[in-house]
Amino acid sequence: MDTLALDTESADWLRDLRDSGGARDNAIERLHGLLVRVARGEAVRRRATMSARAADEVDDLCVQAASDALMAILAKLDTYRGSARFTTWACKFVILEASARLRRHAWRERKVELDDTIWDRLPDRAPLILERLEDDQLIGALHHAVDTHLTERQRLVFQSVTMAEVPTDVLAERLGTTRGAVYKILHDARAKLRRALTDAGYAEQRND
Amino acid sequence: MTDHRLDAILGTTGRDPGCDAGLDFIDEYCEIVARGEAVPDRFADFLTHLGNCRACREDTEGLLAVVRAQENRESR
Repeated sequence: MDTLALDTESADWLRDLRDSGGARDNAIERLHGLLVRVARGEAVRRRATMSARAADEVDDLCVQAASDALMAILAKLDTYRGSARFTTWACKFVILEASARLRRHAWRERKVELDDTIWDRLPDRAPLILERLEDDQLIGALHHAVDTHLTERQRLVFQSVTMAEVPTDVLAERLGTTRGAVYKILHDARAKLRRALTDAGYAEQRND
Repeated sequence: MTDHRLDAILGTTGRDPGCDAGLDFIDEYCEIVARGEAVPDRFADFLTHLGNCRACREDTEGLLAVVRAQENRESR
């Protein structure tokens, strides 16, 4: 892929970060400062999911996220092509690092396990997504398809993510894998269920 | 019979490239949205993924907030 024409600020960042002397050190320090500010801003944006007691831990987590993001940015500097400003490109790394850590922090004291009672709860404790289906026959068909067409791992991922609202990166950490891998399991499970529900007359087939 | 209520639980039917491929688009997409421009068709698969993946949707909202804050500072 070709590098696009860069705006002046992005070109300056690249030049300084590729410098072999003091300009690089100065650019790294400025970039780390920016990443810490962005991580803290993301924590503020997500404060509704955090307990007030966890403020110090969250700040440590933001600094760690910024440091890990900085390492990723420096390692991937040659992949920057200029389709967005350099700072936007760089900030995506810290947003991903910080948000994953914040989600995991918010879930650290909660268990993730396959809970088949989730299908049989009374309306006030039922998963919101099932309540929205508003149709016992449809829920029954979905439950049957989950039980008969998914592997145990697919059932765990599907029920955790879509019904118990476990974030994919929290589940990935518990399963010792990556968010992308968890999403692939979810995607495959959904495709199987769509096929089964299409055959049962409830859904349309997906295109991929 | 088609029941679109199932899309929320099964995902939509468009092509979904997954989380890792979506990462390539998130920065450019946020700048386009922040400028208020129409999102080009080449983002269709990425948008399908955003519709299906809550974590990527949250991350995109986070980056969009950063881009908008930067544009607001520059326009002052």
